[in-house]
Amino acid sequence: MIKSIVYKEWIKTRWFLLILTILGLLAVGNIFLKVQHYITFNEAHNYWYLVLFQNQQYFKGLKFIPLVIGLVIALVQYIPEITNKRIKLTFHLPINENKALLMMLGYGVAVLLLSFALLLIVFIFLSQHFFGAEIVHSALISVTPWFLAGLAAYFLSALVVMEAIWKYRIAYFLASAAFILFFFEKGMAGAYAPLNWKLAVLTLLISLSMTFSAYRFRKGEM
Amino acid sequence: MNKISRYILVFITILAASVALPELYWLAFEKPINAPFTMYSSQEHDFFMIKREQGETVRVDRKGNEYTRDEFELKLPMFFSRQLALNGTLPDSLNGVALDLHEISRARSSFRFRARDMQTPTPELYPLFESESGRANLEMPTDFFRITHRMEFLDAATNTIDERKSQMFTTVLNNRDFNYPAKMIAGIPTTRKSCDEGYFVVDSKDMMYHVKMIKSEPYVRKIEVPDGLTFRHISCVDFSDKKYYSYLISEDDGLYILTQDVYEFIRWPFDALQPETDELRIYGNLFHYTVITRRPGYQKAMALDTEYNKVDEFTETWKEREETKQGKIASFIFPAEMRLSVPTTNFIDFYGERTKKFNWVFLNLFLVLVQIIIIRRTKLKMQKNILDLVIVGITGIYGFIAVNFFQNKFFD
Amino acid sequence: MNNVIECKNLTHYYGKKLVYENLNFNVREGSILGLLGKNGAGKTTTINILHGFLQPRAGECLIYGENTQHLSPQTKSRIGFLIEGHVQYAFMDIHQIEKFYSGFYPHWNKEPYWELMSKLKVDPNQKISSMSCGQRSQVALGLILAQEPDLLILDDFSMGLDPGYRRLFIDYLRTYAKAENKTIFATSHIVQDMERLIDDVLIMDYNRVLAHSPIDEFMTGFKQFRFKMEPNGVDLEKEDFVVNLETTKNEFELYTYESEKFVKGFLDKNGIRYADFSMVPMGLEDAFIGLTGKY
Repeated sequence: MIKSIVYKEWIKTRWFLLILTILGLLAVGNIFLKVQHYITFNEAHNYWYLVLFQNQQYFKGLKFIPLVIGLVIALVQYIPEITNKRIKLTFHLPINENKALLMMLGYGVAVLLLSFALLLIVFIFLSQHFFGAEIVHSALISVTPWFLAGLAAYFLSALVVMEAIWKYRIAYFLASAAFILFFFEKGMAGAYAPLNWKLAVLTLLISLSMTFSAYRFRKGEM
Repeated sequence: MNKISRYILVFITILAASVALPELYWLAFEKPINAPFTMYSSQEHDFFMIKREQGETVRVDRKGNEYTRDEFELKLPMFFSRQLALNGTLPDSLNGVALDLHEISRARSSFRFRARDMQTPTPELYPLFESESGRANLEMPTDFFRITHRMEFLDAATNTIDERKSQMFTTVLNNRDFNYPAKMIAGIPTTRKSCDEGYFVVDSKDMMYHVKMIKSEPYVRKIEVPDGLTFRHISCVDFSDKKYYSYLISEDDGLYILTQDVYEFIRWPFDALQPETDELRIYGNLFHYTVITRRPGYQKAMALDTEYNKVDEFTETWKEREETKQGKIASFIFPAEMRLSVPTTNFIDFYGERTKKFNWVFLNLFLVLVQIIIIRRTKLKMQKNILDLVIVGITGIYGFIAVNFFQNKFFD
Repeated sequence: MNNVIECKNLTHYYGKKLVYENLNFNVREGSILGLLGKNGAGKTTTINILHGFLQPRAGECLIYGENTQHLSPQTKSRIGFLIEGHVQYAFMDIHQIEKFYSGFYPHWNKEPYWELMSKLKVDPNQKISSMSCGQRSQVALGLILAQEPDLLILDDFSMGLDPGYRRLFIDYLRTYAKAENKTIFATSHIVQDMERLIDDVLIMDYNRVLAHSPIDEFMTGFKQFRFKMEPNGVDLEKEDFVVNLETTKNEFELYTYESEKFVKGFLDKNGIRYADFSMVPMGLEDAFIGLTGKY
């Protein structure tokens, strides 16, 4: 059964996942091309100086990439399910309704983590090529909320899409958008150090949000 | 699971609303609050200040007498010496000292410390300048150092450790009984300074060292720190009078200076500093230091003579944001406000603050009533909504939005 | 015989509007029941309750003894649901969708599915979304058949089908159901074909059940008489035996469960003069309109 659900989710998402991950990798590559270019013209130590003392955030180009990936994966996974109320088909399957939803959600989380892990590995690898560990460390603190935002956006988009009543869908969207702003506060590199674990906990807490709107759908709130 | 999901969503909505709604409110209605700019006149031996009142700049003394711009500048020759010289009205001598424009500007210093200077993320990599290069201008070194289990120099171009240089400095540090790793490294990491004085490094046992590079050789001096004195912050300064290296804030919130060459720690007669929240400004001149500590709605100005003895002080208060009309209206709406960034730190976190006046209780109670009506009208069971009512009662407008965004409709 | 579906004392409102009160009906094992009603009569409400997507205000529906609100996976595997409009995963092709569903049902039997598919002229890699309504209906039906369910719940299966496909669908379904002793609960907008399919009929109108009986019984018991008469002050519509009365000028269509003899007797007894009295043979659609009225 889990194989079948993964298969269905895979058919829906595969091209988007592939294209977005490739675009993400290109964006990561672009970040370091810019670094490389600056260094070629102005020498490495001057760039390090900007990064260390002038708040030059070389990793800025990553900012919205995980958010977009999370958002798009949620949309391509769940919009086909509410089109013509197809999610009813899932609820008719000989499997517990919540279990089926959690499998779909689990698939989404798994592919997002894979995609994000790939981006992060390449990002860390290239960062370490150019910069000292201290700089890489503070960059990681700064990009962590952006990757968490990708997951949070995935969970909350699923919630919004699965709600069948427009009035509530807009309400969920407003609440979600205000919440997502937590992950994009402007600040210095490394400024998110005290907040990251709290954002991680909140992201984990909202991971099952979608079951709320799906429950409402199942009980006739459509 | 669905009910828990709902309460989690209600919770994050309350969090999000408690950030977003006050932010929007203040974006729309906030008015600037100008703190007075206070100066100690070495001529009048009294405090003078520039304030903004109803959009007008006013210049007053401590008693409230108003002055024109020209009158005012004449009262403060040490602050406006260049303007007075231009007007030809700079006095020839003051307090028995002949005034020379060059001497005045050499003795002039300006320093600002904000709580966020201490509470800030710092990647611990620093450039160590050549202090006696024989060149007119300082040059940015091509490597950066860290002091972890040893002192390491990391070459930026190759991102590799310069072993020879690292060992050379580490050896000297070892010879001076340095305890790794460094707890604090303070210096002025910029080429835009008059000269380089290297770094002040506090080791893991609170010993302080002065570390410089002179003609490519390490210069490490262990500084004698009085017993029991430890520091939580060091701000190095580059003043033209070369009297001291830095301002230091001790663990017991004392303000010290570290004098040049003899490395003497001098505590200023100063007891009002709260380094976690305060902003500190120090304006020095030939005769006095004007020391200002400021927090919202309050500032204390102190005048010290050149021997660092207190000669006068003056406390001022003004309406902080909460006490303005907009603040009072806000206190009727928001039970608390949360922000992710605050002026006192560069770290991003949840900074919540309860509204001090309890005016919001009225709105909370009103919203509880509205919620009861909503529950009645949507034919939901009252017993199952007690928690919702409690949430609205405590969190007011935020909870009201949250519980209605996520309908409490369940079927058993 | 056992009842596969039992709905007891169903009461539901939308807001303050009553849909029905104390509705009761059963579906016997091995029978095919057709639920007919005009738009808004509560067909969709009933289907939603059976699907478990709606909690009735009062009462309950049981399928194989389980409340439809919480059917166990085992019971759900015995039920084939056809959703209104033959909704399926349109982003898949016919191979992908067969592969998807086969993972869920232990008795998956792909033969009837491929048998139906072979009759469709579709490209093997063609997405279901690009197929015609009729082709999609065959895919949805084929999937249900491959599932080998004991009970089929078909919501408005004729929607969007042209007459040929409708006939194909119905004939295939009936043959299949009777051969394997399947139970079917079906609704449809188009009444005329239902006659070929169903054993029992349940006709709903606003707030009430108009008829619930075997189709043969209903078709023979429910009659239409056409005659001309001069009105003489007796209001036929008020009479208990008159189910419905349609008038055009002085031509009357009277619908009743009573016999010709009874109607004629009543007219004579009340001194009503009539002419050209005849019993009109009716199809299911005529009977449905006769029962529920044209409006």
